Amino acid sequence: MTMDPEEAGRLVRAAAAGDSAAWEAIVENFSGLVWAVARGYGLGPADVADVFQTTWLRLVEHLDRIASPERVGAWLATTARRESLRMVRGSARAVPAEHTTLVSLGQVDEHTPEQAVLDTEQAMLDSERDRQMLRAFADLSARCQQLLRVLTATPPPSYAEAAAALDMPVGSLGPTRARCLGQLREMLS
Amino acid sequence: MPDLPPHTDLEDELRRVLARTDPVPPGLVEAGIGAFAWRTIDADLAELVFDSLTDQDEAALVRGGQQGRLLSFRAGTLTIEVEVTGTGPSRRLMGQLMPPQRGGVDVRHGDSTTTVEADELGRFSAGPLPAGPVSLRCRPGSAPGQPAIVTEWVSI
Repeated sequence: MTMDPEEAGRLVRAAAAGDSAAWEAIVENFSGLVWAVARGYGLGPADVADVFQTTWLRLVEHLDRIASPERVGAWLATTARRESLRMVRGSARAVPAEHTTLVSLGQVDEHTPEQAVLDTEQAMLDSERDRQMLRAFADLSARCQQLLRVLTATPPPSYAEAAAALDMPVGSLGPTRARCLGQLREMLS
Repeated sequence: MPDLPPHTDLEDELRRVLARTDPVPPGLVEAGIGAFAWRTIDADLAELVFDSLTDQDEAALVRGGQQGRLLSFRAGTLTIEVEVTGTGPSRRLMGQLMPPQRGGVDVRHGDSTTTVEADELGRFSAGPLPAGPVSLRCRPGSAPGQPAIVTEWVSI
């Protein structure tokens, strides 16, 4: 889970006072969430990188202005969402956006002779399961993909952070999540 | 606020798959950590009050004939307007300080800063710059003792 609000507030205030280690802890804890939000908009890699970086730069300048330091996670999620929308509208650098989930699994590692055959077989099974999962994920609606990306960020966001990331009313997050997971389960069976 | 029901096995599996196949690039995390170096402690923040990208209807009414994206930042009595042109990886800025006044403008972008001067009419230009996050630090020349202004970061 992302850090608890009390810790988040403490770190934001410390960073505002110039503590770079506090800043680093905030970036490390919430990068997964910011990335998950930005990746949910079908943007190309350069645009996702810009959304990510702009979000952090904005936090730097707002450290001593943020209304609720404890809710910095939700602040970051909202900022990333707005920047992503801006980017979608403005893509003057429009490279045809890769589908967010058509992520290449890369090459199967060339194995050294020393590697056990068993390890290799397991790696290929994992790889195949990854492919199945990603294919099923790619067949979900864009909105479900967006939602599940946010919910499965590393570390997982709090309920409030997820709601801010998705701009969803508090009450619909649970039911929509259940529906999307149901669809994913369906696709995998 | 209530918390979500505990994560399902399926979510945990998807989390692991995405962490394996689509992790945050380490270079980006480093860049996020490095953003702290852009912290300014002796300048007022000029908020983005208008962006033609998101406020286009207003733009159509108020101004015609702009070539590119129009941004407007405000801090107190100082307004900074910037027109952004360019496609692909490159951008140019044409800016205006209002009320019109001379001043230094540090264009903060990427890992570096390009400094230009606003003329007596408050006009300045910069570029080519790489597309990406940008923030202007303005050192207005007219009023002595007026603090520097930094604009909110925007991705151009």
